[in-house]
Amino acid sequence: MPMVRFDGVSKSYPGGKEALSKVSFELARGEFAFLTGHSGAGKSTLLKLMLQMERPSKGQVFVDGDCVNTMKSSQVPFLRRKVGVVFQNHQLLFDRTVYDNVAMPLLIAGYQPAEAARRVRAALDSVGLLGFERRNPIELSGGEQQRVGIARAVVNKPQLLLADEPTGNLDPELSEEIMKLFLRFQQVGVTVLIATHDIALIERMGHRRLILDHGTLHDSGTLHDSGPRAGFERGDHVRT
Amino acid sequence: MSAPDSPKRQTANAPRKPQAGASTHKISIKDRLNGWAQQHQLVAVETLMRLLTKPLGSIMTWLVIAISLTLPGAMWMTLDNLSQLSNRFQASGSMSVYLKTAVQNDQAQQMLSRIESMDGVADVRFISADEALAEFRASSGLGEALDLLPENPLPGVIVVEPELALPQQDVIALADTLRSESRVDSVELDTAWLDRLHALLALSERIVWVMGALLALGILLVVGNTIRLSIAARVDEIRVTKLVGATNAWVRRPFLYTGLWFGMVGGLVSWILLAIGWALVSGPVEDLAALYGSEYRLLPLSAGAALVLLLGAMLLGWLGAWWSVVRHLHRIEP
Ligand SMILES: Nc1ncnc2c1ncn2[C@@H]1O[C@H](COP(=O)(O)OP(=O)(O)OP(=O)(O)O)[C@@H](O)[C@H]1O
Ligand SMILES: [Mg+2]
Repeated sequence: MPMVRFDGVSKSYPGGKEALSKVSFELARGEFAFLTGHSGAGKSTLLKLMLQMERPSKGQVFVDGDCVNTMKSSQVPFLRRKVGVVFQNHQLLFDRTVYDNVAMPLLIAGYQPAEAARRVRAALDSVGLLGFERRNPIELSGGEQQRVGIARAVVNKPQLLLADEPTGNLDPELSEEIMKLFLRFQQVGVTVLIATHDIALIERMGHRRLILDHGTLHDSGTLHDSGPRAGFERGDHVRT
Repeated sequence: MSAPDSPKRQTANAPRKPQAGASTHKISIKDRLNGWAQQHQLVAVETLMRLLTKPLGSIMTWLVIAISLTLPGAMWMTLDNLSQLSNRFQASGSMSVYLKTAVQNDQAQQMLSRIESMDGVADVRFISADEALAEFRASSGLGEALDLLPENPLPGVIVVEPELALPQQDVIALADTLRSESRVDSVELDTAWLDRLHALLALSERIVWVMGALLALGILLVVGNTIRLSIAARVDEIRVTKLVGATNAWVRRPFLYTGLWFGMVGGLVSWILLAIGWALVSGPVEDLAALYGSEYRLLPLSAGAALVLLLGAMLLGWLGAWWSVVRHLHRIEP
């Protein structure tokens, strides 16, 4: 059973043109793929369909074997707990600390405070923000905020990690570090899909590419080897 | 504060153990239950603290709730007191002992002194048949017509005032004893005005309920509106929490607790208002009662009624919040 399956998915927004047309693809468990395309191609829309933030006009979306578009709304929270998301606009809350922002998915999932604290520290450590717990996200730079968003996405150890322009605010060096971080999650079995404009970075890293063009998908397939080990090595290789 | 580590510095170290694992986040049922209870506790304390530390935004709501509760509370207290009083009246209700027409005045006078010495009798008064007729003549206006009667049809009456403190059942027992006297035709407890008072009290009680219901509706609306505003102020937070997997129940919880606390604080403030009202009125009432030789004291709101008031207020606050949450929350989706 693939982690993600799109089956003839089309999406038209009310009053708008078609944002996605007849998109079909699969992401195997533990796969690492990029989603690219021009601005307005439908990347964010595709990601939103996997979280039932939007529903397809046609076709079906499966995540972890469950049909997302027909899922009862009472089940949606549990779907979202399985999926970590990093947003284009990082969606942090500025009325609370970095710690509270990152801990939110854990509190919602009902973790004990001690366990939650441990995991929040681990997540912040992995994005290089240890020691930022008490800060307010509004005091942080764009890149730091982005990384807080990533920490929040991974703190609950999701099975599927989606990221929408996670390196949008970062310099090339930091972008690469973040990508390597995503590769490390893939290495332990997390399925990762990253929407990005950063063609240069994608070129360097290889991996499967899903290319959207005005809502139509062109799959690069697995031209490059994208198995977990190979992926990690490739990411490792980038560092040198 | 420690200097921020850059990811570069970190990854330059030995390869770090990755944190994510697809199947390592199982939580036991027991932990879940504990977490759930803790979550409730946390939300309860947090919302209460928010209310108490930032009262400015919601002080109007508290006051409206408090006043809406104080009005029916005060009426309730008044009615409690009136019915308490009416019970005393009942116990001290006088009775009319109608003698048989054949009984002569001197025989009646004998009886009078005998009844006066009975237990529980405070005062007796004799109204002879002639006096009764004269009174009737004056009050009925029949005048001459009564002269046509061959003899006075009215009986003599002994009016018996039982002692003030005599319990109800003793008054009735006294009436029964008098009724069994051979010269007595009938005994009537003078309760007509009491019946009227009771009917009036019942009516007032009904009015209190109707008023209470209207004011309860007012509380629902006020709490609902306040909660609507606080939902609007936290739209972003609600979106984000839903996005990371918050259930509707989780999102609702703080608002429902806030409603509950609104009701509680409003209820407590209304207790204070009622206590102040009672303190202001009870002194004069005691003085007044003293003038009538009574030791009557104004009763405060009974503990039961006070509890009903508080719990009712909390329930109303919770319902108001629920109503608002049901109407507004589902529209906020990420
Ligand atoms: N809520 C919406 N209502 C109407 N149209 C929308 C909505 N969201 C997106 N669209 C339209 O759908 C198309 C795809 O949008 P989408 O946000 O998925 O693009 P994208 O690939 O993420 O672009 P970008 O790289 O700029 O973020 C666009 O033409 C956009 O105008
Ligand atoms: Mg987008």
